Amino acid sequence: MFRLQSSKVLAVDMTGDAVKAKNGSMVAYDGEMAFKKLSGGGEGIRGMVTRRLTGEQMTLMEVKGHGTCWFADRASEINLVALQGDKLYVESSNLLATDGALRTGTDFTGLRGASQGNGLFTTTVEGHGQAALMSDGPAVLLRVSPQYPLTVDPGAYVAHQGNLRQSFQSGVTFRTLLGEGGGEAFQIRFEGDGLVYVQPSERNTIAGDV
Amino acid sequence: MAFREINAKMVEATVAPGQRLFSQRGAMLAYRGEVSFTPNMAGGRGGLMSMIGRRVADEDTPLMTVEGSGTVLFGHGGHQVQVIELAGDTLYVEADRLLAFEGTLEQGTVFLGAQGGVMGMVRGQVSGQGLFTTSLKGHGSVAVMAHGGVIEIPITPQRPVHVDPQAYVAHHGDVRNKLSTALGWRDMVGRGSGEAFQLELSGSGAVYVQASEEKL
Repeated sequence: MFRLQSSKVLAVDMTGDAVKAKNGSMVAYDGEMAFKKLSGGGEGIRGMVTRRLTGEQMTLMEVKGHGTCWFADRASEINLVALQGDKLYVESSNLLATDGALRTGTDFTGLRGASQGNGLFTTTVEGHGQAALMSDGPAVLLRVSPQYPLTVDPGAYVAHQGNLRQSFQSGVTFRTLLGEGGGEAFQIRFEGDGLVYVQPSERNTIAGDV
Repeated sequence: MAFREINAKMVEATVAPGQRLFSQRGAMLAYRGEVSFTPNMAGGRGGLMSMIGRRVADEDTPLMTVEGSGTVLFGHGGHQVQVIELAGDTLYVEADRLLAFEGTLEQGTVFLGAQGGVMGMVRGQVSGQGLFTTSLKGHGSVAVMAHGGVIEIPITPQRPVHVDPQAYVAHHGDVRNKLSTALGWRDMVGRGSGEAFQLELSGSGAVYVQASEEKL
């Protein structure tokens, strides 16, 4: 029921079911729709408290109805991800919409968050259904296998899924402190088996300044 | 003579002697041939009433007249450009979204506050859309700008369309519009879904919606 109307507009056809979407991302709809804010981003009190504590802010709304609803946000490119019982890790700022049936939560991701100013936590999406991710420019899907680990710029990282370990790498040296760094002082390294979504643009991170 | 899309953000127009087109001032990127650009004062744009309308309504983006013989490239602010062909019908568009249009089209200013009564008046205040909008009527093509490209959603009497006022770009056809609210007491205490106001378009025609809530 998720389809791309253009690379930047998501169309969702609904027959009485519900989707969760980023607050205020509806651009148009036909038919009958109701919009309800999910307090604290869903998952009840516990989710709300974790979110408050972790700073992984996510304001979601529930859209329910009959007809077609179109979503878009700041002209970001949209990528559809189908989940079959697996778990997707995504920066909350990159999540546009998910099937109502998918569970959303927060997860500890280690030090990576610190370099992004997004906190140490990331948003997870789990279950069976579709999710729509946003990226600045069309995202590429890179496969990680045990033989081929992947290193990503934190500012270009969008999401990942599969059985991956991530570690934070710092290339900060004496030269960096002198202002002679290569501009790639921090990286995230993924090892294991899975997929990583990378966007062709770098959002502002602390790493970008060193 | 129509506009040729060079890429998502640029269009090329061909001008021939005796023909002219209008464009937003400063939107010319390059040209070939003998082409002149003159500022277009309010004249020739629907008479005195519409001139006053524009002044009052702030629907007064400066235009220039493009005449001569050659080809002209237009683009503005890195916004995505969409060409809309008119075959005798009327297009309603915010003036600041107009990149260029053919001189064969008749331009006017429409008071939209008359539609939808009080809610129509409130609409302009809430949505940032003016109470006045520019209309273009006749046969020819129009290049409009949008943030992130537009999609065209058909409006039929059976299927009215609701649009986020900030994502609205233009519409054509026999369409009525009014501001609808989904405002409940929850919204009053700051727990809204962020979709409190919508523009409801009903009738028959089409609406162009951009992939963003950003104004130009």
